[in-house]
Amino acid sequence: MISNMLRFSPSFFEGFDEVLAPEFARLTRESSRTRAYPQVNMGVTDKSVEVYLFTPGLEASELDVSIEKNLLSVSGERTKDDLDKNAINRRERFVGKFKRTVALPEDVDPDQTEAVYRDGVLHISVAKKAEVQPCQIEVKV
Amino acid sequence: MTTNTGTEAAVKQSNNEVSTAQQESNARAQSLELTPAADIHETKDGAVIYIDLPGVSKDSLDINMDSDVLTIKGGVNLNTPDDLNPTYMDVHAGFYSRKFTLSSELDSAKIDANLKNGVLQLEIPRSEKHKPRKIEVKVA
Repeated sequence: MISNMLRFSPSFFEGFDEVLAPEFARLTRESSRTRAYPQVNMGVTDKSVEVYLFTPGLEASELDVSIEKNLLSVSGERTKDDLDKNAINRRERFVGKFKRTVALPEDVDPDQTEAVYRDGVLHISVAKKAEVQPCQIEVKV
Repeated sequence: MTTNTGTEAAVKQSNNEVSTAQQESNARAQSLELTPAADIHETKDGAVIYIDLPGVSKDSLDINMDSDVLTIKGGVNLNTPDDLNPTYMDVHAGFYSRKFTLSSELDSAKIDANLKNGVLQLEIPRSEKHKPRKIEVKVA
């Protein structure tokens, strides 16, 4: 329950209520290892919708990004590292195929989408339709 | 003959060694830290550690070795627009931190670190005297 509330917390990297902080720390510690891959952060500006997918360990060419009916999908596959068979292994990192779909607002223009992969984070920026972007109206004398 | 079949692992998570009370106070102090997922592989030549650090660039990564404790810290930098209004977040914190205790069998002076696409690869060789070796039997 608390976990669900925290997921929709409206502040980016901001401080938290003193009472919630320890509980929050425990949740993030555990969750970073058990949560779905990839993790997603999303936000909006006046002109665009910004989506950040945490997909470490892939090449840009291995990521498949598509938008269909305002649903943004990102898929790919993380493979096991090629290692000595006699190694003693402890694994926490996600391995396998993944697909994550997020719903975009209605007012976006999928034709104006940019995707950049840097430091293991896929950043997708979808522009809002021109008519919904705020504009300044000049007042004539 | 190999030396890596013993019951004691060469790389340990330091987290297990601190008491609960300490852990709680640590949690309070580092309330916005994330524990990144890590894989540890041990072979007869040494240990290889992979750590997922998405959003961490080479400049914001800090690897520190203090006696036998290896500490990895990294800041997340997404270059978000100033007027971004978050609508959904899986990742709340902007900072990763993780500690590992290395056994004396490993040569911490020769750690090789490589950061690529948000994954840190650490190669720590076993020190020469702990490497498995063949002992030749001479005929008397």
